[in-house]
Amino acid sequence: MDLLQILVNGLSVGAVYGLFALGYTLVFSVLGVINFAHGAVFTLGAYFTYLLIGGAVGANGLLAGFQLPFALPFWGALPLAGLGAALVALLVERVAFRPLRRRRADPLLALITSLGAGVILVNLIQLLVGAESYAIPTGALGGLPASFPLLGARVRTVQALLLGIAVLLLALLTLWLEGSRNGKGLQAVAEDAETAQLLGIDSTAMVRLAFGLSGFLAGVAGGLVGLSVSIAGPYFGIGYGLKGLAVLVLGGLGSVPGAVLGGLIVGLAEAFVPADWSGYKDAVSYGFLFLVLLLRPRGLLGRPLPTKV
Amino acid sequence: MSVGHLLGVGTGLLTLTLLAGCATDPGSKPVDVAGGVPVGAVLALTGNANVYGQDQKIGLELALQHRNGAGGINGNPLKLALEDSGSDEPGANAAFTLQINRGVLALIGPTLSQQAFSADPIAQRRGVPVVAPSNTATGIPEIGFFISRVSAQSSVIAPLAIERALKIQPGLKRAAVFYAQDDAYSTAETTIFQKALKDKGLDPVTVQRTQLNDQDFQNQISAALREKPDLIVLSLQAVDGGNLIRQLRELGYKGLIVAGNGMNTPNIYPICQKYCDGLLIAQAYSPELDTPANTAFLKAFQDAKGGAIPPQLTAQAYTALQVIGEALVRLDKRQPLKGATLGNARKALMEEILAGTYATPLGEIRFTPEGEVIQSQFFVAQVRMDPGGRSGRFALLK
Repeated sequence: MDLLQILVNGLSVGAVYGLFALGYTLVFSVLGVINFAHGAVFTLGAYFTYLLIGGAVGANGLLAGFQLPFALPFWGALPLAGLGAALVALLVERVAFRPLRRRRADPLLALITSLGAGVILVNLIQLLVGAESYAIPTGALGGLPASFPLLGARVRTVQALLLGIAVLLLALLTLWLEGSRNGKGLQAVAEDAETAQLLGIDSTAMVRLAFGLSGFLAGVAGGLVGLSVSIAGPYFGIGYGLKGLAVLVLGGLGSVPGAVLGGLIVGLAEAFVPADWSGYKDAVSYGFLFLVLLLRPRGLLGRPLPTKV
Repeated sequence: MSVGHLLGVGTGLLTLTLLAGCATDPGSKPVDVAGGVPVGAVLALTGNANVYGQDQKIGLELALQHRNGAGGINGNPLKLALEDSGSDEPGANAAFTLQINRGVLALIGPTLSQQAFSADPIAQRRGVPVVAPSNTATGIPEIGFFISRVSAQSSVIAPLAIERALKIQPGLKRAAVFYAQDDAYSTAETTIFQKALKDKGLDPVTVQRTQLNDQDFQNQISAALREKPDLIVLSLQAVDGGNLIRQLRELGYKGLIVAGNGMNTPNIYPICQKYCDGLLIAQAYSPELDTPANTAFLKAFQDAKGGAIPPQLTAQAYTALQVIGEALVRLDKRQPLKGATLGNARKALMEEILAGTYATPLGEIRFTPEGEVIQSQFFVAQVRMDPGGRSGRFALLK
């Protein structure tokens, strides 16, 4: 019973990490850089979901008291929040990445511009809606119970949904990448942008597609985490951002299944930390990452770097 | 670069920093009261403790209005400069230094004990009075002569909630304890809670450690629920504590929950929502206290906030500025601020703060020579959520 409970806890937390890291992975695969604004887009997804289900802005911020004139059910609000986050991610690409790419600037510079974009977004959230915590109502899932028994373990419904949605999104993303023209185009750009361009693939459009998808995934993940815990102010994506980076590296930079596998492994590593040591779970999971990278520097599913002669 | 070079550069930078600090120390200059009598506050207005800082900011604004409405400091308005600590120690240190260099006569803050242990020594070294509005950890006034607080320490208040839980349910036998191991307030308070439990014959069946920024507590909760507790005692801050309560209830825990001072704010309502209901918290403030000072404070708060009930943190922040304001009035009458050097005025103000007795929203308070607050009345409240689970109140238990 204990083992099952630990597995359930680890997988549900890991699903969130994996979903978050998927967005990092998509951008990294086409541009070879990490989008540090991803955490802020994730945070925005949570706020968008909150507003779309009819949540009101608190007493602080320029939008104090603001409430949309309609309220959507959670399952309607979540994809719309994902779309809103995708638009913001596209804006980040336009402002923080594209100008540097056009000038063929060092990719390292994009780390800094994306970090700047992330900081601006977080501060904008604070300016507009204040720094207080928000939460999606506990009844947002309608008549579903808060938790249910599973072979002697107890599972929170929202965590089971998180796991299910992460697996579903991974399956859809894999199908799309392997089976659609755009998906294959994205892979071609990830492989070699210049060659792909010569073959008639619009690499700029593919980069935009990667950002849009990444933003959508971040927005959906933000909405789901907002439902599971709370939106603890404009900074609440930062912790997930750091963990997402660890997952990205563990799974293998640029690997879609690696991101999900890495997320689940980090989640499980945290869950298997003995309860008396649970306050040190971050140290354990990062220590585990350290060990894996010593043995396999390209991550679990990352491709080996080509040898230059 | 060799180690020797690095040490040389480091020593040079340190010297420059110290020289810069001395050059900007305005302690030897006259007190600048031209635009009002300057007092500073450092609150957590952003970051994970922002929920407390927002409550405190309202208290300071109301106290400032009250003081200036009553004539300020003998005709000169009290001027409050507010800075954000960002909820962490470097932010609190920087904000304290900035305020001190500005020439404030006294400081209010920082919001968290964790920050106070870092920032208060700066004020102590520079000879600036600090009145802490919300630091409850053991050892705060002991930092030095210039450090005082109006927030009674956990050891006085926390055991009251355990006593009340036993009164509600005398057969309690199995207590589980949670605390954030990376937070000074939480670690100090849990020691007190655990001692209070042992004193009542309730040895904790499990002690679960969390971290301040944790949001998911399923592992710790699963481990605790395996011990079948009938009482859960939390020393956590509002956001992590609110999330933990929600997850505890969602995972099926139905027993009593006692929380410490960190969750003593209505800001927990949107986090744990309907699951906040029944939570027991000992408090240093009751809106139902029938004194002229509390009636005036209550009216001012309700006028400003549409009839809402003020939280303890707001009342304590109000009290902190009230104490400084009243001490400044007395000091200025006895020894005019205008013309005095800032360093001397700050020292005299600290002596004046410690010497006074104050009729505040918390009841009558005064200080020990070390700066510890002496407060006569404490309360235990139980959270009662409205049917929709979106708002609630701290109902005083008689």
